[in-house]
Amino acid sequence: MLIGGVSETYTDIVTSVFSSTIAAKAWFATAAVILAVVQVTTAARIYGKLRFLPERGRAIATTHRWSGRVAILCTLPVFFHCVTILGFQTPDARVALHSLVGTFLYGVFVAKVLIVRDHSLPAWALPTAGLTLASLLVVLWLSSSLWYFTNVRFGF
Amino acid sequence: MGRGWRPLVIGGAVVVGTFALAQAQVFEPSAPAAQASGDVSRGETVFEANCASCHGEGGVGGVGPALFETGLDAAEVATAVQQGRGIMPAGIVSGQDQADAVAYVVSISSPAE
Repeated sequence: MLIGGVSETYTDIVTSVFSSTIAAKAWFATAAVILAVVQVTTAARIYGKLRFLPERGRAIATTHRWSGRVAILCTLPVFFHCVTILGFQTPDARVALHSLVGTFLYGVFVAKVLIVRDHSLPAWALPTAGLTLASLLVVLWLSSSLWYFTNVRFGF
Repeated sequence: MGRGWRPLVIGGAVVVGTFALAQAQVFEPSAPAAQASGDVSRGETVFEANCASCHGEGGVGGVGPALFETGLDAAEVATAVQQGRGIMPAGIVSGQDQADAVAYVVSISSPAE
């Protein structure tokens, strides 16, 4: 179901900043993974772990919320390119793994957001969902951005 | 079904929706026109930086197929670059870099007289 060609508009916008669309995806995904690490770290502090970090409180909670929001925003351009242009592909193990894990990303994200708001769920549900989401992002980054940086080029 | 299942059910629906969207590929880079405007010498630099790791220096082949003297035309090369092929990702170079790389690949893929 092709509803449009995007080569001129999308590619022109992306390449006004990055050298190519794949470079843009690699860097957006890298930003998302870095923010996912911030998410896990601040969440651990909120749960009373990582005591070397500042006392849990407003700053930690605010950092946790905003790092999550910006991380998801960073994934949107990648989602647009990977899902709506490239689609689900299985030419080799790396791409197949990337496609499979990517398919689950937003489902786990939505589940995590719902779990945050549902206080009737068991205490382990939220950290499990959060760690699953962060793990998916890391696997996606390893199977795409890291591959790009090490096999094609490291640059914008 | 208890309320506790709601995140899993809705999350599962999003997974299914994402998969359906991916299968539909609702946007597709339109097949680029033959690009004759590229600069071959600059294209060689672009090729060495972005393509040679798989196609080999000079396009003689490596992990990816050889491009040297294979008779590819500009439209074929541009389509492969823009849409990807096999394990080669789509959009590995874009814009003027793509035009230059395509011009270079066409120059090396022309069969020797």
